[in-house]
Amino acid sequence: MIKAAFKQGFMVLCAIYVALPIMVVCLSALNGGRSMLFPPEDPTLGRFVDFFVNEPVWLNSLENSVVIALSAATLAILITWPIAYDQWKKDTTFSKVLASLAGLPFALPPIVFGVGLSFLWTFIGGLGNMLTGILSHTALLAALPLVTISIGLQSIDRAHLDAAATMGASEGTILRTIILPQTMSYTLSGFFFVVVLSFHEFIVMFFVSASSYATVTLQIFNSLRNGFTPTMAVGAITFLIVSIIVFSLTARFGDLPRLMGADQARKD
Amino acid sequence: MSYPAAASDIQVGRADGKSASAFIKGLGLSNIVMGVITAVILFVFVAPFLLVLVVSFGEKIEGASWVWGFDFSNYIRVFVGVDWPNSVTLLYTLKLYYTLAYAVLGSLIAVGFAFPFTYFMTQGSRRSQAMWLVFVLASLSMSEVFVVMGWDILLSNRSGLPALLKAVGVTDWLKETGWLTVLRDWDLASPRNVKFKTSQLATVLTMAYLVWPYAVILLFAPLSRIDRSMIEAARTMGAGSVTVLRTIVFPAVRLPVFGSLLLLFVYLLGTYVTVTYFAEPAHQTLPVSIYESIRGATLNAPFGAAQAVILLITAGIFIGFSLLLARLAERKA
Repeated sequence: MIKAAFKQGFMVLCAIYVALPIMVVCLSALNGGRSMLFPPEDPTLGRFVDFFVNEPVWLNSLENSVVIALSAATLAILITWPIAYDQWKKDTTFSKVLASLAGLPFALPPIVFGVGLSFLWTFIGGLGNMLTGILSHTALLAALPLVTISIGLQSIDRAHLDAAATMGASEGTILRTIILPQTMSYTLSGFFFVVVLSFHEFIVMFFVSASSYATVTLQIFNSLRNGFTPTMAVGAITFLIVSIIVFSLTARFGDLPRLMGADQARKD
Repeated sequence: MSYPAAASDIQVGRADGKSASAFIKGLGLSNIVMGVITAVILFVFVAPFLLVLVVSFGEKIEGASWVWGFDFSNYIRVFVGVDWPNSVTLLYTLKLYYTLAYAVLGSLIAVGFAFPFTYFMTQGSRRSQAMWLVFVLASLSMSEVFVVMGWDILLSNRSGLPALLKAVGVTDWLKETGWLTVLRDWDLASPRNVKFKTSQLATVLTMAYLVWPYAVILLFAPLSRIDRSMIEAARTMGAGSVTVLRTIVFPAVRLPVFGSLLLLFVYLLGTYVTVTYFAEPAHQTLPVSIYESIRGATLNAPFGAAQAVILLITAGIFIGFSLLLARLAERKA
């Protein structure tokens, strides 16, 4: 009994520790004045109106965030699907090297990649262009769908593939009727991981945007010179809600524990 | 007279068309797709790192931009200062030291708290595991900017922990017992109250906070794969929780735990926002001075690139270690 209580207590304490700064940010959004006070003074929802209606700079940056996140996620899927498929099907040295190169930007300190990208876009032009911003996030976050799609491909039942091949299905048919449907939830998870992390990513976008456009995260950092304001907190809340919805959907429609590497055999 | 020529033109055109489509067929659609993807990977994923390396050998021109070059002066400047060998300045070596120190402490604290949490989590049902994972993932996706915003409020002197401590009376107690003077020596208090901004403690704790969810995700897989029947067998034979941890759990996850520590350490090497906000200028790290050199006040791209290369090499060494560990773990399994 005591042991169970200790376990529960410890987990709840960790949860509070994790949630505390997030809660504080969320509650600060209710401040009536211009300064971030906690507990909030003169609570109002006026900051939400400011964020979504009154101050176009926020709505504009929200639009940029959405465009960049969705485009980067789509491109990342288009690039990593063939890489993961090639590695799963052929498992050649070439496919292995290609897969590890694709994961390189995510594994190394993002600031180094950001610096490198800012050089690259300076040389060939396009620094501060949204398109290069999208490409940059695609490269930075491609490792995520690469991993989820690879896990998805490995979870396909080989018996299905053998049966289809015995009945004379071509590679294209097998791909269309077995592989794509069975890996769909994993592909979508990868897509959403990129969307959410692109929303929150800061340092690479900081370098490649060259101050000519801003995502919400960037806009918040840029506005920091005047101190934190409650309107920024609304941006944080918006993104937090999107993250929770996305991950809940992933948990609902995909097998989240398995995606995170839990043992498939245990189903309790 | 022009008619035959035209006819032959048409024929040539036809032949070309045929051979082009035959060429594509011979190559195979999949090869073309893979070729395009390989080009994109090399150009956008790999080239930036090579550019950083190449630029780091360049030379800054006073009052202008910089030119290509090939000398090691930027690296010499990072390690022993610009005036070497006449005098030695360890300014940037010190920055490298802080980069490493913060990252080591941050990752140790994060794993220290994440390990028991994840161990307890994997003992729950599949459903509760999924719920905890959603919680952890949502907090993981919080940008460094938002996290710093939260801790900034929590640690600020006007409203936050110092104000709370004062209201509860802890501050007065600290003053009476003399602990406040000790805290001032540790740079954690002003004459009037405790303060956490700016302090190394706040920097390290915020860094630990940043990677705690990653630590849970990394430890989740190895901990959830531990054979439950072995634990149950040990229990029936009368082993206590400590014995179970020592003889079954720790040996099974020793390598993954060490591997996660390395990965989190590498991740923390690049922390930027936390350090600019919570560390005073004298205690700041390489990423901050990289930014200063590339985009900030000093504008010396080759020097910034040299610092980035040093950060990259440091990260590369530790990633190499963690890959080695992963291979060891695989061989053991």
